[in-house]
Amino acid sequence: MEDLTRYLCDLAKRRGASFADVRVLHRQSESVLVQDGRADKLAASTDRGVGVRVLVGRCWGFASADSLERPRGEKCVDDALALARASQEFVNDPAMVAEAAPTVAEDCRLPEIAAGQMPLKEKIARLLQYEHCGRALGGDAIVNSIVSYSEGTREEILANTAGTLVRTAGARAVVTCLFVATDGKILQRGTEHRGILGGPELLRQVTPEEFSVRAAEKALALLKARPAPAGRFTVIFHPSITGLLVHEALGHNAEADAVWAGQSILEGRLGETLAPETVSIYDDSTVAGAFGSYAYDSEGTPSRRRPIIEKGRLAGFLHSLETAAKFKAAPTGSGRAESYDCRPIVRMSNTFMERGTVPLEEMLRGVERGIYLMDGHWGYVFVQKGQFICHAGQARMIERGQLGDALRDVSISSMTLDTLKKIDAVGNDFEMKMPGMCGKEGQSAPTDCGGPHVRVGDVVVGGRAQE
Amino acid sequence: MSEFNYLDLCVECVREAVRLGAEFCDVSAGTGRDISVTIEKSGIKTADAGQGEDVAIRTFVRGGMGYASVSGRDRRDIDEAVQRAVALAREATPDPDFKSLPSAQPAPEVEGLFDDRIAGMSVEDVVRIAVANLGAGKALGPEVNLSGHIGLSVGEGALASSNGVALESRGTDIAADIEALVKHGGDTGFFYEFDFGRQLADCRLDDVAVNAVVGARRFLGARRIKSGRRALVLGPLASYGFLGGIVAAANAESVQRGRSYLCGKVDETVASPVLTIVDNGLVPRGVRSGAHDGEGTRRLPLTVIDRGRLVSLLHNSYTAGKACTKSTGHGTHSGGISPTNLRPALGARPAAEILREVKDGIYLESGELRADPASGDISASIDFGFLIRSGELVHPVESAMIGGNIFDLLERLDAVSSDAREEPGVLMPTLRIQDVQIAGSE
Repeated sequence: MEDLTRYLCDLAKRRGASFADVRVLHRQSESVLVQDGRADKLAASTDRGVGVRVLVGRCWGFASADSLERPRGEKCVDDALALARASQEFVNDPAMVAEAAPTVAEDCRLPEIAAGQMPLKEKIARLLQYEHCGRALGGDAIVNSIVSYSEGTREEILANTAGTLVRTAGARAVVTCLFVATDGKILQRGTEHRGILGGPELLRQVTPEEFSVRAAEKALALLKARPAPAGRFTVIFHPSITGLLVHEALGHNAEADAVWAGQSILEGRLGETLAPETVSIYDDSTVAGAFGSYAYDSEGTPSRRRPIIEKGRLAGFLHSLETAAKFKAAPTGSGRAESYDCRPIVRMSNTFMERGTVPLEEMLRGVERGIYLMDGHWGYVFVQKGQFICHAGQARMIERGQLGDALRDVSISSMTLDTLKKIDAVGNDFEMKMPGMCGKEGQSAPTDCGGPHVRVGDVVVGGRAQE
Repeated sequence: MSEFNYLDLCVECVREAVRLGAEFCDVSAGTGRDISVTIEKSGIKTADAGQGEDVAIRTFVRGGMGYASVSGRDRRDIDEAVQRAVALAREATPDPDFKSLPSAQPAPEVEGLFDDRIAGMSVEDVVRIAVANLGAGKALGPEVNLSGHIGLSVGEGALASSNGVALESRGTDIAADIEALVKHGGDTGFFYEFDFGRQLADCRLDDVAVNAVVGARRFLGARRIKSGRRALVLGPLASYGFLGGIVAAANAESVQRGRSYLCGKVDETVASPVLTIVDNGLVPRGVRSGAHDGEGTRRLPLTVIDRGRLVSLLHNSYTAGKACTKSTGHGTHSGGISPTNLRPALGARPAAEILREVKDGIYLESGELRADPASGDISASIDFGFLIRSGELVHPVESAMIGGNIFDLLERLDAVSSDAREEPGVLMPTLRIQDVQIAGSE
């Protein structure tokens, strides 16, 4: 396949591209869904193809095909060139590529247990065991349980006209569980997720106690929780909520394509103090075993740790080859593509806040009345407005420095720059356990996020009861 | 379109799966191509094209399901996928609730799902639409920053099953979605607009950027508001998401499994009598229309909520078999359940009149107002909303949220407008809900 990528690169250059890259990719996956005591749905998929990206004059063209046959690849080259040429005269902002040194490398990270080496029967048995342990905790109060597992391998060869040739192979595995509990009046859900850069060894690493039992406990505890109050509160973020903050509120704004397009609130703020000196935030795709890690991005740039905020100051953005050229910065290895049929775009990897010095107990002591937000579920952001939303699966009232009543279904909405300024304590702990797929422009990328506990003054909480 | 016969391929795969031991099997196969032009910083950034084929095999052994999919048309890959699907079904736990796949149910094709004009469009045609939008949008002012996509797709496919289903279909669609960002001093206004259709004649693709810019300017000058209980008016885009969430909760599998807030509510009143929602997958030219669902069941219009009563759930063949009823034609090929085109019954008075009666409220132009699928609790941000005072939109709102429970909101729903935004297949009226908890930040 290396021959094909090199051949298509050369062909694109001969036919008029000033830059081209070709990615050949082969993905395979297997998944098992266990539900209500049965392995309900077993699935597998295979996907392979080639994507050709060309720069002609001022514009990009991109074409893909689900085949590794040379004629289909040649057609992709011609299509990509034609697409770029058709748009030339309407480009405002000419495309460009950083002149990075070519990378010639190979990185094959095989899982501890290769695909196929753990029998399907064993996977099903382990998933059923997770489910059984969670259900055993709640008895009849648990009305539905789902445990799902998926593993996938990805082999990719990338070549570009600058001489880069990178071959990578890797695997990821994810296991999630959901328990729905009822007290006869209401339903509540508890979920847990685990994911690794690896394979089915995940199922030997994760114990029911730290996974499915915890999810069932959450669902049962929520039955006794009261609806959250509505209004402005001092809040303490659990590391999972801190993860949502750094990923949604800040990380997406630090993606240099959004900054260059004038769509990020961080535009023109490099070097500015945005947060207290105790706050440092990084995106790092070199964290060993972390779900968002990789050795080379989809443009062949080596992985690295990327400062976003250091000691409160905006230290940098995440760059692809293109945004690095436009900002006259170094590529940061953040150009990622979901598959062969997607262009690389600027993405995060593992994004986190560094730990500080304040113990949680001390943070709590400083709160007269507030809310402790836990169990980060999801979030989204409008980078253009600097507004973000995070949803917590669980929460507790804080009254006079003590944790109080359990609360349920709490979301917060805030403005990124306001929130960063209002961080007044950074915890001395750290957790990054939010493996997931981040969506952007129709593409998904594996990411993780986390950090320490943090305390933030004056955040809007969307509850049901008037305070 | 392709000269390859996908139906023959599906039939061959079904035959092979049955030979290998599948008790039931259905196979879908097809091809698609797409063109997309990306707009960034008020200019064209890139033009993309893709072409692909895929085959998906679903098999059942003693009710256990195995599913395998493969991209491309390599015969060895396809044969391996058939073998894999059967092997997976053998490993799955037997499921006595599985009864059967649908049998053949001939039905006339829905009119207007394929447009030769869209199928014949070149990248230059798509670029022309992008350029028309850029020209019109930028003409509104130098401070306008446009981004988005113009894209089309053309596809054809087939479905065959061991129960004699043998269907072919083809379709086109085209869409423009554009975001406008307007900066004025230190203030930012942002909004998006879109248009889409199965037929070019149903779209006004050249106007999308102008509408997005007009929308973005309306969101300049956002202010914080105080917390309190207020009327909530959902504009057409917001109401579509709100009602879509309710219909999604009427998924029969979620109800049978006990994880939907609609469990035990069939034939009960779940909303005020002003609400009737019909799901209709047969609307000509509808964006989610088709004569059959993903399993080959004939589609029919389905009333989900009738004057406040939950009267039907959305079924596929599995949930219908389990409930000893008929599938409603909402099955997907991978075993899920999916709504089609939502058609709420319209009310008696126009949106403007409903809005005029609101003394103190929030107008939600667009945004997520979705309930937790189990508890029905809502804790949602007002992403694109205005404060209403004495029937007028006073100013956009920032840092405010909505809290409540879906049943409380549905009970307090007191008006559905007589006018609606109409997109191919879909009706989006304005809704009004009284006495909703709003958390403000003033």
